Amino acid sequence: MRAVAEHEVLAEHEVIDRPILDPALAPPFPVAALPVLRNLQLRRNVAHAIDVIQAKRARLVAEKPDWQALRASASRIKDEALQNLGAYLEQFEARCAAAGGTVHWASDAADARRIILELLREEKADEVIKIKTMTSAEIQLNPFLEANGVRTYETDLAEIILQLGEGEPSHIVVSALHVNRSQVREIFARRMGIENLSDEPEALTAAARNYLRQKFLSVPTAISGANFLIAETGSVAVVESEGNGRMCLTLPRTMITLAGIEKVLPRFADLEVMLQLLARSATGERMNPYTSLWTGVTPGDGPQKFHVVLLDNGRSSILGRKTEQQTLRCIRCAACMNACPVYRQTGGHAYGSVYPGPIGAILTPQLEQMRHAQSLPFASSLCGACYEVCPVKINIPEVLLELRARVTDQERKQVSRFFDSLYLGLRAANVIFSRAWLFHAAQRMGRTALRFFTRKDGWIHALPGIGAKWTQTRDLRGLPKQTFHDWWTDRQRRTK
Amino acid sequence: MNPVISSRQQVLGRIRAATGNPAATAGEAAQRYGRLPRDYQIRGKLPVRACQELFIGRLREYDAEVAECAPDELPATIAAQIEASGKRRFIAPSGVPNAWLVPAAWQITGFECDIDHGLTATEIEKAEGVMTACFCGVADSGTIVLHHSATEGRRVITLLPDWYLCVVRASQIVETLPEYFDRCKEPPALVTWISGPSATADIEMTRIKGVHGPRFLNVIVVRGTGT
Repeated sequence: MRAVAEHEVLAEHEVIDRPILDPALAPPFPVAALPVLRNLQLRRNVAHAIDVIQAKRARLVAEKPDWQALRASASRIKDEALQNLGAYLEQFEARCAAAGGTVHWASDAADARRIILELLREEKADEVIKIKTMTSAEIQLNPFLEANGVRTYETDLAEIILQLGEGEPSHIVVSALHVNRSQVREIFARRMGIENLSDEPEALTAAARNYLRQKFLSVPTAISGANFLIAETGSVAVVESEGNGRMCLTLPRTMITLAGIEKVLPRFADLEVMLQLLARSATGERMNPYTSLWTGVTPGDGPQKFHVVLLDNGRSSILGRKTEQQTLRCIRCAACMNACPVYRQTGGHAYGSVYPGPIGAILTPQLEQMRHAQSLPFASSLCGACYEVCPVKINIPEVLLELRARVTDQERKQVSRFFDSLYLGLRAANVIFSRAWLFHAAQRMGRTALRFFTRKDGWIHALPGIGAKWTQTRDLRGLPKQTFHDWWTDRQRRTK
Repeated sequence: MNPVISSRQQVLGRIRAATGNPAATAGEAAQRYGRLPRDYQIRGKLPVRACQELFIGRLREYDAEVAECAPDELPATIAAQIEASGKRRFIAPSGVPNAWLVPAAWQITGFECDIDHGLTATEIEKAEGVMTACFCGVADSGTIVLHHSATEGRRVITLLPDWYLCVVRASQIVETLPEYFDRCKEPPALVTWISGPSATADIEMTRIKGVHGPRFLNVIVVRGTGT
């Protein structure tokens, strides 16, 4: 009994240390952001990484004179796919099946986890190698598989850092950008059992290569995400840098791809637009080192069993809403978070979701069908930098405003609003401001009351109650003896 | 009720409820698709030689080794690259031209080359280097495109060996990515786009060559129109 209690205390402690990326459990953004804002090391790591990517991206975008035309085409291609999503998904399904693949449909996260576990059980798999996929993090696949006796091996360098260091992703492309080299060294030395490991990125990368090589050659089942699904051909495309993706796509016997339904493109040739935009926006490269495309199974080359799991999990609820639908154009490049002044200060964990930054602020609450993460649409200054860099022209500020309105509508229906001083204050203001006599009376009372707080220097330095929220951080000029309205009335009287 | 079928119906039902069912004929759908704007650059603007130089320059920016030669110098150039690499155990795809493998051209002690007629991963893993042809080279991004035909090989052979030599004929080089897509008469079933050696920048955004794929990428550009 004693041991159990100790274990529980430890578990609780770990939960506090580890950021919560489940929108149903995460604290509101301003609360979750506080510990990060105090963590100067983390903020330095995030700012450094973002500055490097931003500079590279800006240089490569500037050398493309047709950048705006590419953006315009990409947004229209994605809209075409989304407006006719049912037809394109069925076409994808038919073509993929004709090429030897099997398509499964998952209506929510639990459905997808169950399908994948069943497929793994059919393969008698107790180990699986994984290509980085944010969609699998969204459905919390790894903890589910581990709890069901399947060991998962992440193969992307950043994902290894997080998996071995028991950390959480803070960015959708460079998921461990909040971890610096000495922290990586510590994690690798401890978990891989390497003594005298240097903190040079070359040495750390080599350690990861050696750690995974045998896994690639021996584990017969792999799980991937998808960057694009091609309706015309039933093909799947994966964009990567390290070659871990190619390893997982060619060496195992069985490949399981988990893809959101919004990943479908009408035709193969649409990649000529998407591939030009994606790498430049994501990592500031003209093209990422490796992009792979495959169609069902190819005899003699790569996995001979191939499954695609098409995931809805709230996506269809975003479709058909005029403003919000553009959220689903996202190709997960992360340019918006790299450009965001809020993300730059807080990093990703404060967003309480695997999708942080501006895209997370609009995607997460919608995937949760507005039941959780309602603080996220407010985690923005609406400066518009995210919209400017978005390769598929998602007007994020516009969607943020729409979602803020929906959150406010929700709050209006809550009983607790009658105990909220801001809400009550605004209701009172509504009554007062719409009646001139009440307004003038309130002005007179307010001026009389404020006189008690006005110091000799003519400034108000501190107010009690709700007024303290204002004077905590700024002073207020004392009110003049007369309002403009009174002065004008006096003047009219005098000149008569 | 089969749960898989019901999820499918559920998801498609929700989608159709949201988007309406446009119920377009195939012809109407194609017309609608055809009206999408395509105002970006499709054709290249550079003269042939400048386009080749751009391709070579981009590859070198990725830290690839690039050599150029005339068609009849190709075997000797391959030999020189291999000699310089210090690697001796090679593999090549089944369709690789015999001229590349003429032993007389080599004179490299210890050189051996297995042809891939279904080698196992463990056998491929033992090779130090691999050489293949390609389908296309894209100058704008320094990209080599493999369609995995008999001369380009199965996907795994250009992945496991640490040293990769790719032969690109000048006629295969296009300037823009859309020009590559134009060259695909039919959409290919397998494609690998390779832009430089395997790399990562996951640790403090420092670009490191060679994580899991080949650390060394070597390209020979064959001038002229020889095939």
